[in-house]
Amino acid sequence: MEKAEKKLKLSTNSNSTLLPISSLYTFILHTICGLGLALAYWVAHNVYSVSLVNDPTQTLRLIWVIEAPIVILLFSGFRQHPNQCSYIKAVGRGLLGLPAGAIVNALGAIALGAPVGIQHFSKTANWSILMSVFTIVPTASVFGSSWIEWRRIFAHAKPNGPIDLLICLPAHGAVIGAWFGAWPMPLDWERPWQEWPICVSFGAMAGYMVGIVASFSISLFQKHLKKE
Amino acid sequence: MQELSNISPSYDRLILMVVDGLPAEFVLGRDDRPAPEIFRKSMPYTQSLLDRGVATGYHAKAAPPTVTMPRLKAMVSGSVGGFLDVALNFNTQELLDDNLIGQFFKIGWKMVMLGDETWLKLFPRSFTRHDGVHSFFVKDTVQVDHNVSRHLDAELLMIDWKLLILHYLGLDHVGHTGGRNSVLMGPKLEEMDEVIKKIHRSMVQNKHGRTLLMLVSDHGMTENGNHGGASYEEADALMLLIGLRDYDRRPSTHKTVNQVDITPTLALLFGVPIPINSAGILIADTLKSLEAAQQLRALELNTWQLFRLLQAQLPDLSCSSSCGVDKDGPGNDIGECDGNTEEIFCCLYIKAADLHKAWKSCQVLGSNKVEDYRSTVLAYNDFLRTASEWLSRRATNKPVGLLAFGLTGMILSSLILLSLLYQLEQDVCMIKEDRTSHFSSRMHKWHMDEIFVMAIVCFLVLSMGSSSLIEEEQYIWHFMTSTLYFLLLRKAVQSISSVNTQDQGNFMERQIKRRFIQMSSIIFVLISGRILRGWHQGGVNWTNFPDISKWLESEGTAYIKPVQLVSLLLLTTSGFYALSFLRPSKRFVIVVGLSFLFPAILVLQYIINYQSSGVPASSNNATLLVQIIYATLGTTTFGIVVAVPWFMPVRNPKGCSSHHYNVLHVGIADSLYLIGLVYIICWGLLQLLLQQPINSAPILLLLVQILASMCSSSNSDPEPKQWVEVAVVYYLGMAGHFALGNTNTIATIDVAGAYMGVSSHSTVLSGILMFMITYAAPMLALLSMLINLSRRSKISLVNAQDVDLHFLLKTTLAYPCLVPLGLNSIFLVAYTTILLLMRNHLFVWSVFSPKYMYVCATTACIYIGVLIVASTVFYTYSTLGLRKMWIR
Repeated sequence: MEKAEKKLKLSTNSNSTLLPISSLYTFILHTICGLGLALAYWVAHNVYSVSLVNDPTQTLRLIWVIEAPIVILLFSGFRQHPNQCSYIKAVGRGLLGLPAGAIVNALGAIALGAPVGIQHFSKTANWSILMSVFTIVPTASVFGSSWIEWRRIFAHAKPNGPIDLLICLPAHGAVIGAWFGAWPMPLDWERPWQEWPICVSFGAMAGYMVGIVASFSISLFQKHLKKE
Repeated sequence: MQELSNISPSYDRLILMVVDGLPAEFVLGRDDRPAPEIFRKSMPYTQSLLDRGVATGYHAKAAPPTVTMPRLKAMVSGSVGGFLDVALNFNTQELLDDNLIGQFFKIGWKMVMLGDETWLKLFPRSFTRHDGVHSFFVKDTVQVDHNVSRHLDAELLMIDWKLLILHYLGLDHVGHTGGRNSVLMGPKLEEMDEVIKKIHRSMVQNKHGRTLLMLVSDHGMTENGNHGGASYEEADALMLLIGLRDYDRRPSTHKTVNQVDITPTLALLFGVPIPINSAGILIADTLKSLEAAQQLRALELNTWQLFRLLQAQLPDLSCSSSCGVDKDGPGNDIGECDGNTEEIFCCLYIKAADLHKAWKSCQVLGSNKVEDYRSTVLAYNDFLRTASEWLSRRATNKPVGLLAFGLTGMILSSLILLSLLYQLEQDVCMIKEDRTSHFSSRMHKWHMDEIFVMAIVCFLVLSMGSSSLIEEEQYIWHFMTSTLYFLLLRKAVQSISSVNTQDQGNFMERQIKRRFIQMSSIIFVLISGRILRGWHQGGVNWTNFPDISKWLESEGTAYIKPVQLVSLLLLTTSGFYALSFLRPSKRFVIVVGLSFLFPAILVLQYIINYQSSGVPASSNNATLLVQIIYATLGTTTFGIVVAVPWFMPVRNPKGCSSHHYNVLHVGIADSLYLIGLVYIICWGLLQLLLQQPINSAPILLLLVQILASMCSSSNSDPEPKQWVEVAVVYYLGMAGHFALGNTNTIATIDVAGAYMGVSSHSTVLSGILMFMITYAAPMLALLSMLINLSRRSKISLVNAQDVDLHFLLKTTLAYPCLVPLGLNSIFLVAYTTILLLMRNHLFVWSVFSPKYMYVCATTACIYIGVLIVASTVFYTYSTLGLRKMWIR
């Protein structure tokens, strides 16, 4: 955290092309992202009465179907260079980012040992689309194809401002959460949730939530510093 | 035999019924509580026998490892084995120690064995008739027992045998499949009860002689039905004597004896000598039908036998007349016997012997007293119990001092290695700061990959505490290595940005090209790593899942063979390609290349001619060819290694003056590169020959993976620290170890390959081959360190103006040697500690101990590899040093 704060301090001087936003707005933004996921999970549980453990494919699909529009519509509002790029275009970028990000995530997961096979296809596909919603889609909506920004967010993890934070931290949180979520898989506890991709999805969602909380508290802290 | 003249056999025939894995709790209950109702109801006949006092039950405590073979050995020879027993005998071999079966065979008994074929392996020639069943198909709970019972009726009518062994495996299989409370357990117990009923009925009707039925189990089982450890549930074996002649007619409380006590008891009941290594003591109750003199005689024999065993362990133990015993008070308690071990044993022994003597003389006089008899029995029992306890403790005792000493030594060596590494890192940093002072601020910043290399060590150490992560270790290595490569990929992406700031046409282009090579080779490593992971499922719990090797094998040799040939071809090609990087000395390279083309062709010939049918070829021609290949590979490697430093053309690097140092150091770097390549290519060719045909593609992938990894690090721009590079290759090697199908169980060692090209049986040769097959991947990684080393010496050459040998060795050789040693020492120390902490764990025999053997073997592998690397480097340096002197 300290590192991130230092980076933030340094970056406050750089002129941001993003819209300036108030702290209430930041709060709402973070809440919507977090609540969207919670709502999706609630709907899956109570409306369709499926859970990750007994039907991972269906649940994951439900979650991303609910979460993806929220994320795309929300982040398209904070697109870079809003004068040159229309809202619709930003939404289109987000929609394009969804399958592309899914492929990247799926390849990454497979390289790390996710099972390959026709019987796993739908699980992996839905999981990677959800991961794409967490990681790639917000960046695609906001930054489009700006290679420098992508690298700044993902390779260097140097976010400037609340929107960057909201893109960067939950994305990293989701990836790290999914990574840790894979740990129980080889254990011989014989629990149904040890199957791919159940515990990995749990880890990813938990990491995403932690990322949102962290991003919100850092942006508040940053505001507080600015005022001083 | 003469000693036994005083004891007449109490019985003529013995039926030994072994019910594999039956816990005594099922029949006798636990701690004065009766057996669970459900099990009591399943065995009505046995329970009625117990209630009437016809049968006498004992809890026969089994010593770990509670697996069948060592337990059978313990029952028939009375000796207490250790884990090494399992390790050294994973192929069950004939029991050569003195044992009951051997004794019975000697006195001419005809014996019949029906059941588990372990008996046949232990006693191959002893049985007149036998029907062995396999114990491999654990899912089969019905057929195994049917195969035993089908002969039972006929055998019970026969009168020729003296010993009938029935070994029922079904109950153990029920346990393995469903645990103690499996629904199949009741019916299985009923079946066993029926068998007991049948035998007992025939015993009662039979007039052929006095028959004793002994029902024993070799070990118990846990709640889940497993066994192997030392918990009460596993060690709680049963011993039930049915048909004792002088039984009490009242249900007795069930005593606890040791499983090894079965040996002397049976020996004395049937009038054969007690096996010499037996540590058991006679169960006195069983001899009650004998008259007093004979009972004392039996105790005396058991005492003599144990005393001799003690003498073998304690050479100082000799009870001559010097061991004074007060004659005044026969009937003293043990309290008077003290001193050191020898004195106590001596005192107890002499006391018992004197009492016996006194009793005998009284008997002659006719003034026999029950009291004297009792005190003699007590004295004998005191000696026997003390001696037996001491002997079994000695067999399984843990020499705490030695353990602590060993562990301290390991920790010390690990600390020394790590502190050396730390010191080295400091030194190298200092040197670099001196050379390039403007970089100094960057040097201390820790990169992600460096942190993660350390984190992997922590994760691995933590994972060693979990038995299932040890069983499935292949996942961890692959997961960690791949994550590390993802981090390296991220770092590569990071370094692109630094290029963009320097807009210099040509330079920029070169940078982009380097980045492209770096990233594509990392991606290649990732992809091939995933293929390697998918090649063998590995592990213990999910071995039956589909993987590439199973698929290829099911498709048959038509698929495997092309894969093998392509692997061989690509391996040779990639060898040539890597060689071609040594451009300036082209002619020299061609000579070297041609020299390993010859063994490659020989391997090709072997694959085409002899590996066509799935069975390993064992004809003379095949053996001869393999021997030729061994010889060619050996001489080629050795010849090249010896010759290269002498003949390597030394050249002027661009921009450097014709300074002798530098010229020769370039020569050193080139020779090391060449030697490293020759090592790994020859090792790869050897593995293509030795490994199972299915493993040829993984060998190729591993080799190319390591080369790609080197390529990526040589093209990365802030040079990764050398220790990171070395650690990455080490991890690749370990991940590859599991990718070749190895696991942490002994079962996956490829025994068939170990006899390739060995014309006569030689344990040493086969052992070396087995080691080479098992540790193919880590060894390959270690040998490839030479290439890394060569590149590093080139780099330090570019940076340095005047290099001395000391500096060059420090910056090049130190890391490739110290990092593997340091990493391995951490794992060794951590695992030794964990093993000591887990020594009472349920899986200590089945999971932790085999893994420890692998850890030790890995240590040996690392040391050998490092030794080869270090000696090669020293040889090269000294040779070129000599040449330098001549040039001057």
